[in-house]
Amino acid sequence: MQLWEKLIIVAILATIVVVAGTIVYLNYFAKRRLFISTTTSLYDTGLLDMIEKDYESTHNVDLQIVAAGTGIAIQHAKNGDADVILVHSLSMEKTFLEEGYGVNRKIIAYNFFTIIGPENDPAGILGKNATEALKSIVAYGDRLPDQSGATKIWISRGDNSGTHSKEQSLWKEAGYNYTLISQKPWYASTGSGMGDTLNVADQKSAYTLSDMGTYLKFYKDRIISLKALISEDTSLLNVYSAIAVKPDVPANKSIHEQINFKDAMDFIQYLVSPETQQLITNYGKDVYGQRLFFGAVETLKNNEQPEANWIKAYAFINGYECPPQYRSNYDELYTGDTGNG
Amino acid sequence: MSFTLVILAMVDILEGIIKALQLIVSGDPTLYGILYRSLLFSGSAAVLATLWGTPIAMLLSLKDFRGKTIIKGFFNTLIGIPTVVLGLVLFLIFSKSGPLGFLGLLYTPAAIILGEAVLVTPILISIMTSAIEAVDPEIVNLAKTLGASESQTAIAVLKEALNGVLLSNIASFNRAIAELGVALLVGGNIAGSTDILTTAISRYTARGDLDLAVALGILLMIIIFGINMIVIATRKLRWLSILGKSPQ
Amino acid sequence: MAIIAELKNVTKLYGTKMALGSVNLQVDEGEILALLGPNGSGKTTLLKILAFLEKPTLGEVYFSNRKVTDQNMMQMRMKSTMVFQKTVLFDTTVYDNVAYGLKVRKTPKKEIVERVGRALELVGLEGFNKRHAKKLSGGEQQRVALARAIALKTKLLLLDEPTANLDPKNAALVEEIIATVNRELKTTIVMATHNMFQAKNLPNRIALMNYGRISETGTPKEIFGKLSKNLVSFASLENTFVGKAKITENGTTLIDIGNNVEVAATSKCQGKVSVFISPEDIILSRTHFVSSARNVFKGKIVEISNFGSVVRLKVDVGKPFTVQITKRSFNEMKLNLNSEVYITFKASSVQIL
Repeated sequence: MQLWEKLIIVAILATIVVVAGTIVYLNYFAKRRLFISTTTSLYDTGLLDMIEKDYESTHNVDLQIVAAGTGIAIQHAKNGDADVILVHSLSMEKTFLEEGYGVNRKIIAYNFFTIIGPENDPAGILGKNATEALKSIVAYGDRLPDQSGATKIWISRGDNSGTHSKEQSLWKEAGYNYTLISQKPWYASTGSGMGDTLNVADQKSAYTLSDMGTYLKFYKDRIISLKALISEDTSLLNVYSAIAVKPDVPANKSIHEQINFKDAMDFIQYLVSPETQQLITNYGKDVYGQRLFFGAVETLKNNEQPEANWIKAYAFINGYECPPQYRSNYDELYTGDTGNG
Repeated sequence: MSFTLVILAMVDILEGIIKALQLIVSGDPTLYGILYRSLLFSGSAAVLATLWGTPIAMLLSLKDFRGKTIIKGFFNTLIGIPTVVLGLVLFLIFSKSGPLGFLGLLYTPAAIILGEAVLVTPILISIMTSAIEAVDPEIVNLAKTLGASESQTAIAVLKEALNGVLLSNIASFNRAIAELGVALLVGGNIAGSTDILTTAISRYTARGDLDLAVALGILLMIIIFGINMIVIATRKLRWLSILGKSPQ
Repeated sequence: MAIIAELKNVTKLYGTKMALGSVNLQVDEGEILALLGPNGSGKTTLLKILAFLEKPTLGEVYFSNRKVTDQNMMQMRMKSTMVFQKTVLFDTTVYDNVAYGLKVRKTPKKEIVERVGRALELVGLEGFNKRHAKKLSGGEQQRVALARAIALKTKLLLLDEPTANLDPKNAALVEEIIATVNRELKTTIVMATHNMFQAKNLPNRIALMNYGRISETGTPKEIFGKLSKNLVSFASLENTFVGKAKITENGTTLIDIGNNVEVAATSKCQGKVSVFISPEDIILSRTHFVSSARNVFKGKIVEISNFGSVVRLKVDVGKPFTVQITKRSFNEMKLNLNSEVYITFKASSVQIL
C-alpha cells in the first residue's frame, strides 16, 4: 500500500476518534447538559452568569448558555439545538407556542425599556412619554441640515430581537409606518446585540431603545455616557419569559441526547422559586444603585398593582400566562392562571 | 481642549492595559481556561488538518492525473473562504436539524476543532504542495537507486521538504487560533466550554468588560508573536549550523 | 568470465523519442566498462536501465542470469546502484547521506558506522561525518555521492560522467577511487563518459555509443587502434579532430584539421590522423601572450556551461574547442557569449589517437 493511502486511513481514523470520543465523553463521562438559548440583553447584564453559578452549585447539570437575539434563540429551539428559551418578545413567543414548538411558558421577570440619548438632548424628549418622544425625534431628524445619511440620530438593534420588536411596536403605537421610518437617512441599524448597539449610539451621540439592565451596567462601568431620558412609561414594559422546548418535535433527535425536557422543567421551576426570584430582584442593586430586574412571580401571584395589570395587559396570551393547550404536566406552575388576566 | 481629551483617552487606555496585565499576571482561572481552550482546539485542528492534508498534498505534488490543475486551483480558492460563511455552512450541517445533526456535535469542542480543521486544511495543502514540488525531482531516483521502497521514497521527499512542511503546520495553527467566525457559529461561545480567545474577546467587548477583552487580546497577540519568533529562531538555528563548520 | 548483466535487444522510447535502439550489451563481472559517446547518445538511459530505474520499452534485461521483471525490479535495485551526473544530496549531514542506503536495508547501527567510515576513507573524506553535505565544495560533494554508493557494496556500480564537472585535481582523485573500488572491492563498474582521455586509461573495455546505439565494443587498444572505422563517431566528441598530418622541415608535425586551423604536435605522424587535446591543457586568455606554447588561436565564445566551481566554454577558432576555467577566472575576465578570446596549448598536449 502506498504511503499516501496509509496516511488517508490514519486521517479518517483520527477524525472518527475525535467525533466518537466526543460522543462517548458527552454520554458517559460528562454531566448532563441543558442548552439555554437566550437574548443578549439578558446575558450582557451578567444576570445569567450569576444564575448559572447558583444553579450548577445545587444541581448536577451543566448549563450551556448561548446568547444571540430572541429571533435566533427561537430558531435554535426550532432546530432542536436548545432545550429551553429565555426571551422577551410576546409576538414571537406566541407564534412559537402556536406552531407547536414550545410548552410551559412562565413569566420570570420584568423591567422597563428606556429611551436613552445624549445628555444635551437635542430632540428634547426628556419628560415626555414614549409616543411623544418618538415624534420629537422624528421631527429633530427631519430638521437636520445633513440629510445625506452621514448623521445618525437613532440607532436600532435591527436584529429580530425582543428589543427590536419592542422598538417596532413603539413606532407603530406612535402612528408611524416602521418600514418608512427605518429608511430615513438619520436611522441606523446595527444588526447586533444590545451591548454593541449601545456602543454605537454612544459613539454617535444618538438615541436608542435599551433595556434598563444593560443600560445601567454600561453606564455604571462608564462605557457610555448617554442618559436615560424616558423610563416611566408603561408602554416601555419589558417582560422576560421562559419556555421549554417540546421534546417530541422531529428535529430534536441526536444519537446521544434527546431534548432535555426534564432538566428544562427543573430549571424553569428553579427560576420561579422564591429564592431565585429574590436573587433576580436584588441583582445589581448595590452595584448600580437601582434594580436591574424585578421578579414577576410574586407580583402576579399577589396581584400587586399596578404592575400585575401592566404585565397581564402586555404579556398574557388570550388572558393566560400560558394557555392550557400549551401546558405539559407541571400543573402546579399554573395554579393561579385561569384565563382571567 | 481637544488635546486634554486625547490625553485623557490615552490615560484610559493605559489604565485598561495595566488592569489587563494585572489580570494576566494574577492567573485568573477564567482567563486561563479560555487560553487553554484556544490552544487546545487550534492545536488539535492543526493536527487534524495535517493528517487530512498531507496525503492530498503528496498526491498533488508527486502524482500526475487528469484534473490535477483544477483540484489544485480549488484548494487555493478555498484558502480565501470567509470564515463566517464556512461557519454558517458547518452550523447548518451540525445543527440537530441538519444532515450530521444526529451526531449532536453542535456547540461542542469537537465542532470547533473540526470546523477550524476544515478552515485551515486548504492552507496546509497549498504550502505543503509547493514545498514538495520545490524538492529536486532527482531525489526520487536517488532514493530508489539506494534501495528505497515507494513509501521510503515518499518519506525521503517529505524530509527534504521539511522546512516547508513545518511552515505549513505553523501557518495552519496561526490561522486557526486567530479566527472568529467558525468558532463562534458552531461553538456557541458557551462560557467555560466553547469560549476561546477570539470569541471571548467579542463577548466581553459587547458586554463592556473591556479589561478582560484587552487582557485576552494581549494574550492572543503574545501567542501569535511567540510562534512567529519560534519559527524565525529555528530557521536561524538551521542556518547557523549550516554556515558554521560544526565540530566533527 | 561471468556475465553479471546483459541487455538483449533493448529499445527505450520516451514518447516518440528513441533513446536506445535495439541495444545488445554484456557486462562482465569485475570489469570496468566505459560507455563513450557524445551528449544525447543514450549513455544515461542505458545506465538507468542497468540501475533498474527504467524499464526497457522493448527487449529484456538480465542480471546474474535472472530476467528482470516488474515483480523483482525492486529487489534487483538492491544489487545495483547509480551515481548521477549532477550531484544529488539529501539536505542533511555527510554521515546521514552516506548511511541512507544502509539504513534502508535495515543494516545494524554498528555496521553502518563502520561501513560509512570506510567508504569516506576510500574517497578521502575521513572525519567529514558531521559536516552538512550541501555546504561542501563541488568536488567534495561528488565524492560524498560516490561514498554513498560505495558503502552499499553492490555488485554493480553505475557512474554517469563522474568527473565531468570537476576540476582536474578532483577528477584525478575520482578516477583513482574508481580504480581502487574496482580493484579492492571487486565491484563491476559501468561508467559513461565523453572524455576520450579518461576512456583510454581507466576502463577494461569501451562501448562506443551514438544516436542510441552501440556501434562497437572492445578494449581501448582495439577501439583507438581501429580509428579509421570510427572517425565519424569520434569527431563529435569534444576536442577530437580528424585531420591531415605532415612533418615540416624543422621536425614538428603540423596537422590540418580544417577551416584553416593547423595544430602543431610533437608526436611524429603522417596522413590521416585523429587528434585529441584535453580541455585541461588549454589556456584561455583575453589577449595574445607570448609563451613557449606553439599553438595559439583566436576565436569567439559560442557556448557557456556552468558547473558550479568550473565553467566550460566552447570557443570557435574555426573549429570548436572545449576549454575549462574556474568560475573566478570567468568572472575576473568578464567573459560572455561572443567574447573574443585566445586559446593556447603546447604541442606536447596534442594527443594522437
